[in-house]
Amino acid sequence: MAELPAFESPVSTPFVSSAGVPMEPGGPDAPLTLQDVSSTTKIIVRAGPGTDACRRLSTPFTTSRMEDGVLIVGQRPDEWTLLGQGTAIETVIDGLDRSGHVSVIDGTHSRAMFRLTGADAASVLEKLCSLDWNDHMTPDGAAVSGSVARVTCDIVRNDLDGTRCYLVSCDRSYGQYLFEVILDAGQEFGISPFADPAC
Amino acid sequence: MLIVPCPNCGPRNSADLRYVGESRPRPDPNSTSTEEWRAYLYERANPAGMLRETWYCRSGCRRFFTLERDTVTNEFTNPPTPVAKLGKRP
Repeated sequence: MAELPAFESPVSTPFVSSAGVPMEPGGPDAPLTLQDVSSTTKIIVRAGPGTDACRRLSTPFTTSRMEDGVLIVGQRPDEWTLLGQGTAIETVIDGLDRSGHVSVIDGTHSRAMFRLTGADAASVLEKLCSLDWNDHMTPDGAAVSGSVARVTCDIVRNDLDGTRCYLVSCDRSYGQYLFEVILDAGQEFGISPFADPAC
Repeated sequence: MLIVPCPNCGPRNSADLRYVGESRPRPDPNSTSTEEWRAYLYERANPAGMLRETWYCRSGCRRFFTLERDTVTNEFTNPPTPVAKLGKRP
């Protein structure tokens, strides 16, 4: 893949909620956090049925799995999003057979992504989105797409050490708005924002 | 609120989808008359009853699909079983 320029976060600091309330970054023990993780490498792979790439990725639609440090998300019936860092994701992509109806696009710079972590993370999403965030509908590993605050988003449940956690991604141009509106919705649950550590 | 049964994602708020319109077979442009072609492009049946229509799941699976809806009661007949089958993952 061609060398890309240094990553620039879609979210500006200092943090302010959509209601104009200044938000201070919290400590590591904050009960609910929203972290900008937009610098995560995001590779979008479309592969037609019957192709080697389709068999290789194999993660069913609406599910995700971790493989060698890369989160492979079955985002649409014939589309996968690969999330990871550094060489791990390059290894998976380089090993992908691109023969047949297969396309691979690097969406790192075109997509914003946030990690919403905490026991009340589902309660925050319930305020913004009509999808069902109950455990039996969206367990750990579930991948869904839908409207969050009227922005079309891809959402993956990716729990960390047993703590409920969601990766929310959208078009980069909506990143600032979505970050602010999630902060606003999470205020009543004591949400704390974090900047992208890579920016 | 209209709940549309997407065959891939399952029941969704209609705001997550785009209504494309009545679903009709496209006539062969090589053999159809001008009147038939115009009727296909511009004339709609708009019945008070069952209608076969196309929807686009713009926020979910991004697929076009066809459903039958009663335009009087807004009920979908034989809604498809979603591929996703949320909650029944292995």
